[in-house]
Amino acid sequence: MIASFDFNSLPKQRVPRLVISPRRIVGDLLSKGWIENAIPFLALLLVVGGILASTDGYFDAANLRNLSQYAADGGLVMLALLIVVAVGGIDLSVGSNFAMSAFVALLCFHILELPVPVVLLATLATGMSIGVANGVIAGLLGCGALLTTLGTMITVRGLYTLLSQAWLVDISKSARLDDWWDWVGFEKVLTMPVGFWVLVVVAASVFVLFRQTRFGWHILAVGSNRKAARHGGIGVRRTIFVSYVMAGALVGLSAFLFAARQNAISADTGIGMEFFVLTALVVGLGGFVPGRGAVIPALIGFATIYILNNYLINAGYRGDFVLLSMGAIIIVILGIDVKFRKNRHRLLASTYLDPVAFEPAAVQGMEGMMPTDAPPRLAAAEIIASGQVDGPEDVLLDADGNIYCGTRDGRLLKIAAPDHTEVSVFARIGGRPLGLAFDREGRIVVCVAGMGLVRVSTDGAVDLLTDQTARSVFSVQDDTVIRMADDLDIAPDGTIYFTDATKRYDIESWGLDLLEGRPNGRLLAYDPATRRTRTVCDNLRFPNGVCLTHDGRHLLVASTWDCSIMIFDLARLSDGPRVFLGGLPGYPDNVNRSSDGGYWVALAGMRNPVFDEAMRHPGLRRRMTRRVPPTNWLFGNLNIGGVLKIDGRGEIVEALWDAPDGPLYAITSMREHGGALYLGGVSNDKIGRLKLEGTDRTWNGPDSYWGKGR
Amino acid sequence: MLERVVAVAALVLVVVFSFAIDGFATLGNLRVILTNSASLAILSCGMAAVIISRGLDLSLIAQMIAGALVFSFLVIGGTSTGISMLVALGAMLLLGVMNAWLIAYVEIPAMLATLASSMFITGLFRNTILDGGFMILLPRSNPTVAFLSGDLLPGLSVSVALMLVIFAFTWLLLTATTTGRIVQAMGDNFQAARLSGLPVRTTTIAVYVFAALTALLAGLITSSASGAVDFRTVTNGTLLFDVILVVVLGGIPLRGGRGSVRNIIVGLALIAVLRNGMTLMNFTTQTQDMLKGLILIVAIVTDNYLNPRDAETDTAGDL
Repeated sequence: MIASFDFNSLPKQRVPRLVISPRRIVGDLLSKGWIENAIPFLALLLVVGGILASTDGYFDAANLRNLSQYAADGGLVMLALLIVVAVGGIDLSVGSNFAMSAFVALLCFHILELPVPVVLLATLATGMSIGVANGVIAGLLGCGALLTTLGTMITVRGLYTLLSQAWLVDISKSARLDDWWDWVGFEKVLTMPVGFWVLVVVAASVFVLFRQTRFGWHILAVGSNRKAARHGGIGVRRTIFVSYVMAGALVGLSAFLFAARQNAISADTGIGMEFFVLTALVVGLGGFVPGRGAVIPALIGFATIYILNNYLINAGYRGDFVLLSMGAIIIVILGIDVKFRKNRHRLLASTYLDPVAFEPAAVQGMEGMMPTDAPPRLAAAEIIASGQVDGPEDVLLDADGNIYCGTRDGRLLKIAAPDHTEVSVFARIGGRPLGLAFDREGRIVVCVAGMGLVRVSTDGAVDLLTDQTARSVFSVQDDTVIRMADDLDIAPDGTIYFTDATKRYDIESWGLDLLEGRPNGRLLAYDPATRRTRTVCDNLRFPNGVCLTHDGRHLLVASTWDCSIMIFDLARLSDGPRVFLGGLPGYPDNVNRSSDGGYWVALAGMRNPVFDEAMRHPGLRRRMTRRVPPTNWLFGNLNIGGVLKIDGRGEIVEALWDAPDGPLYAITSMREHGGALYLGGVSNDKIGRLKLEGTDRTWNGPDSYWGKGR
Repeated sequence: MLERVVAVAALVLVVVFSFAIDGFATLGNLRVILTNSASLAILSCGMAAVIISRGLDLSLIAQMIAGALVFSFLVIGGTSTGISMLVALGAMLLLGVMNAWLIAYVEIPAMLATLASSMFITGLFRNTILDGGFMILLPRSNPTVAFLSGDLLPGLSVSVALMLVIFAFTWLLLTATTTGRIVQAMGDNFQAARLSGLPVRTTTIAVYVFAALTALLAGLITSSASGAVDFRTVTNGTLLFDVILVVVLGGIPLRGGRGSVRNIIVGLALIAVLRNGMTLMNFTTQTQDMLKGLILIVAIVTDNYLNPRDAETDTAGDL
């Protein structure tokens, strides 16, 4: 006999379409990887904003073109330094190298009158040869990079001064003109100067180098941990050597652009350049960080420092004031950045948990059935497989009476009928297997927290059905991945309905989701025919057990924190859920069919008035999680729980309580089979079996779903 | 080990120069060498203390000029020598504490913090005191200036005497005081020193303040001798390089942890003799710089050969 309910007369369950909380947005932003670059980026925005507010026309096309022409030199040198810093070194000789290469370029062009391509090659060769000197000493010989490049810096500078003094007059007297030379120095391609495009191409190449190439990864490995790189079989010294040579070549390229544009050098060419680009790099990367080849942040840092410097000089401030403000600004940016990086995880930890006030309906329909009114009947349960299972969150019985359950270490166990003493591993899944269900073909579909939805064939083969759904609109955090698949049931058409209990916490911190009390979960549906996963209903409060009603047309979904059971009409899923049964005395977990047309509801723990009151005060819970050690937090009562029997109309008809002293605790699942109830608990090391009086001894779950004549 | 090689090299240079250069091996030239290297020696003491504690002070020269500037400015304006000295000392104290605060409390790496503070100090003092200028001239008539550039005893100039006092003070600081032991411990293993409860932050303040005070003294000696306080020493000069050269040639590793006054004296001997010899041979400044750069490279390659890095304990970022 199937007792009926009228779907349309049930009260509607309110489901928010969108959850917006400033604290959550901050928390989600802080957990993004790119937030590391927020401070340099904000600094750039501030600089640009400040300039926009105080001057007219600084950012018009002509000035931008001009800026980009001069910026190319410094930008290329900064990329050179980025490569060297990424490999764990430093290059102070870039300024001297720049001057020397520019001198060679002018010498080759004006005095030796070589063709421009040869001049380019000679300039690159000069830059590379100084890179080779650095690379041999600091890389192949393994000397300290700071002193090595300090030495080459001073030596090359001395050499440059001697040579340039000898040739300066001759170079300035030369009147050689060349179309190619002027093209490099002055021509514009697509409205931007040639130097700018060179910078773009080089920046893109360095980006690809660090992202996509084996050698780039070797550089990052050596820079991150030299010892680990060596143990990994990377030629550490060779990698460092090549990095210095590459940096030298980039400096040479930069000097070539400079020489073609300026056609002149002076005694102070390149002086202080190493400190300027080092500053830019450090502001971009937020400190001196080896093993990080972040081209875009580095360019942002360079733009900040370059624009700031250029603006201050153009605005007519004296050199000393420029120096003063640059020094102060760099100190401030570095200081904020260092502190931000250091405290980011603390900020994240204190903003991530974002409690909200809510009030579950008052306990109802439990007159005479509360634990104080009735003896704990589960204390008399027979114990199966004691010590042989570990955390059977759900138990499943096939038509022959074999028990299947998941374990904490990611296995699916089979406990053979009829005496239930022989435990064998049915499948190795991984993750944390939770809810189980048979499909029409007798395969077991498993919800695995941390993985998604998995199907285990009768021979034990494991298939991952789905691990992601569509990303919800307006979510800062990417919620594509199914984080905590909890329980499932399968409709007659084969569609698998399952819950993702929370999108914000992993299974080991599920308790935080209760303290937050927000609707973080969702109901998903997987269609095996199309292999598509879709979100049926988002923003549910810890949706947990899923059970298809006996008529096969509705779906019961337990909402754990709401202490209620919702119901969906499968024909009209978009209408949203209604409340099938509210005001439960505890936190419902799985829901399963019973033989008489009703349902069993597992209560993992009990509500208590103090905690219900705490749920009305989000500030209290927030302060508690910040100031009180976790072991002393207020929480629901997990010491006692049990199983409720409800009839087909949603009335509670019977309560089976466990005793505080065991043997079963925190019941999360129960299945009726052949006149007995099998009980699983997420923290138990055993399965309970309770004989039921006056029930159908031939009834079992698979037949109830798929019929006897399969 | 490097220290011995450098000491031998210095001796060889002395012998070679004595035969090759007329007037090198005279008592008068010895006095010139000592007097000329006094400020370098005093700066090296400050830098050595910083480097032994695993720091680096790139703003040392900026501080030196700033300190001399404060003193000279007040003296020229008619303030008494004593008060000028106190104000200059106070200014140096502030600069040293600022550097140490950035490094120990804000936790910006020492190289970057002092690089930026060098810019900041130069800009600040040029902007506020010099009104954008580069230099200020010191009246030779001022008694302090005259005292600093004069002789204490016949044959012993005041600057050399101060150098000896600072050597003695540094030696005491590094070997006989608790602060000195903590400095060595910080340089040897900073995390271990911090975790065992040593006051690493306050010690950092002490070290950088000490460096700032040596900078003031060196600045006073230099400007008294030349009669001018010139900020171009910061930007164009290779003085900072010379200071690092002295410390490193003496055998104090940049990663810190060991080193004493003996190392400074050895490094100083080579550089001072070399500078003097090259000047007597009429080498240009550029040639001298180039040779010094080459000597640094030879020294670190030699050091690397004598004390090869252990690839197992070598870490990235160990510059």
